[in-house]
Amino acid sequence: MEDVAIVALAQTPCYRRYTDSEPSLLMGLVNQVLAETGLERREIDFTIAGSCDYLSGMPFAFISNVDAFGAWPPVYESHVEMDGAWALFEGFVRMQLGDIDTCLVAGSGKSSPGRPREIFPLQADPYYHAPLGLDPVSMAGIQAQCLLNTGKASERDFAEVVSRSRRDGQSNPNAQVTADVSPDELLKEPYYASPLRRHDLPPISDGAAVVLLARGPVARALTKSPVWIRGIDHRMESHHPGLRDLTALPGLVTAAKKLGIQSAPIDVAELCVRYSPEEIILCSALGLGRDVRINPSGGPLCGHPVMASGLVRVVEAAQRIARGEARRAIAHAASGAALQQNLLCVLEGGA
Amino acid sequence: MTTLAPRSYTLEYPYTRTVGPVVGRFLTGLRDGRLFGIRCRGRVICPPIEFDPESGETLAHDFVPVGPGGVVESYSWIAEPTRKHPFQEPFAFALIRLDGADTALAHAVKAPGPEAMSVGMRVRAQYRDERRSAITDVYFVPEAGARDSFVPATGQGEVKISDHLISLVYEEPLNAARERYARGLLAGVFVGQTSPKSGKVFVPSSGYDPLERVLMTESDDVELPNTGTVVGYTVITPVQYYGQKETEPYIRASVLLDGADTPLGQQDIRDIPVAEFRVGMRVRAQFRPPAARNVDELTNRWAGTGSCIERWVPTGEPDVPSDQLKGGMF
Repeated sequence: MEDVAIVALAQTPCYRRYTDSEPSLLMGLVNQVLAETGLERREIDFTIAGSCDYLSGMPFAFISNVDAFGAWPPVYESHVEMDGAWALFEGFVRMQLGDIDTCLVAGSGKSSPGRPREIFPLQADPYYHAPLGLDPVSMAGIQAQCLLNTGKASERDFAEVVSRSRRDGQSNPNAQVTADVSPDELLKEPYYASPLRRHDLPPISDGAAVVLLARGPVARALTKSPVWIRGIDHRMESHHPGLRDLTALPGLVTAAKKLGIQSAPIDVAELCVRYSPEEIILCSALGLGRDVRINPSGGPLCGHPVMASGLVRVVEAAQRIARGEARRAIAHAASGAALQQNLLCVLEGGA
Repeated sequence: MTTLAPRSYTLEYPYTRTVGPVVGRFLTGLRDGRLFGIRCRGRVICPPIEFDPESGETLAHDFVPVGPGGVVESYSWIAEPTRKHPFQEPFAFALIRLDGADTALAHAVKAPGPEAMSVGMRVRAQYRDERRSAITDVYFVPEAGARDSFVPATGQGEVKISDHLISLVYEEPLNAARERYARGLLAGVFVGQTSPKSGKVFVPSSGYDPLERVLMTESDDVELPNTGTVVGYTVITPVQYYGQKETEPYIRASVLLDGADTPLGQQDIRDIPVAEFRVGMRVRAQFRPPAARNVDELTNRWAGTGSCIERWVPTGEPDVPSDQLKGGMF
């Protein structure tokens, strides 16, 4: 396997409403990682982005985002209609061919112009689910209720995830919603999609993230603190909720086994916890105990720029390694309702 | 100066899908007031699917009547429904295992309130009077409150097609550069931006130079004259697709304003005969009277010139030779 490292990264703050365009949102980040590494845009061998036309509200909106990467001279690029973390996966796989040295990966999205709860049922089954408007918030409520039914978690557990996350978010300059609030106070709030309360949901955010990948020797030349991608895998569960045990993620368990995440200590786990009960399901599937620091950034509960949120987890985990605060970390991205699709990435420091 | 009103628009896709023999059987059942599952290795899966979820093998079309009663396995009480939900007042989404089925169907339960819902409760299918052979033809209610009614079949033969109109609304303010461009049009002036790096002039500007990757600000704004050259055009004969408003052929032209490096696209030409229209033709924008100008149709996505320009008038100057038009970003 080719050694591939993250050599530079950047993210925007999570905005409730970013009033300029999505390419503008990305352009500053692209310029930032190029400036940091001293690379020219024409030295980038491959560019891959994740975004969603339904969020942007225009067919082929992803084409405008190419402006941010520099459309001229002609750019060798690709796109996934997925979170930027899946673009990272494709970039990593592309680099395994061994013929390119650098790859720019981006994820961006503006959720503020549209209505996410009306848009996202469209990723569900078009015959049985989309016409019902069956949205991710409602599915998260059903999934949370399954946790309660099986005794795997309590509403207090959900509140504790929110309390800890929103407190951690206070030290994250890119966070959008943070608070110093106790589980007891949270439990007094009314239900929104029972057994979830409004605070169990992520905020609606606009934002973007970018990472620059480089191959072994090039990576070492570009930075003193490369963050190596030791493994990356993604799996899907059935898109029929009735065919799933919503409290388990057998696909993610397989990914974790294949990546050998438990073969060495994990210092930090950045998990794409969009709804607080998801943290309990993810920790159980990944076998993460209390010794692992979960979402020191506060996670998506403090800011959820859909289509970038998963890549932000990679950025957050990699940043901690680059700063020497962690040696080995895992980053997780999710897509679809009730954690239907999951991506897992193992990151390590060291020259 | 007050900002222009946020732009709101609706994006619609009318999807027409073939449903195949398995989903088709289920939707035919809904039309006729019956529910079906499909047999799979001794289990009954409802809603029916085409493939064995374990092996991926195609399932035989062995349909089994299920319901109309069932048990709620899990649910969420939806306090604030969206426009797309089956009910506009609070209701529950639930996983319902219908009698005779081994898997749960995700659907809506109409109940008086959250206190009427519980895991393990019995519910019963209710059919809507007007059915469209869609999953929304049915809903569920607590069994005690169910009405048993005769459901007349509303169609003949198997359902083969499903119609689903996707209709989404968006609302956002104009981007800063677009807003200044729109205000310029209202004042009868074209406002562009000059790239601080390359000196190229973009109109309308997206607020950045896409060639040099430079974000631009108000200090980069520049006013352009209302004269220019036709650099491209097409004669459109309208095809009557969903949403089409045009009926007669018309010209859409790109006009490169004097001093600009990008053309104004999609300019409407209605009163210059097609036979006379040509690339290189010199034209002048004749703005409408100030009170008649409006920029309501300008969005961040579609720039255009709103309803600010009455017409493009040939100036009578000699044509610009095409080799002088090279290098523009068309």
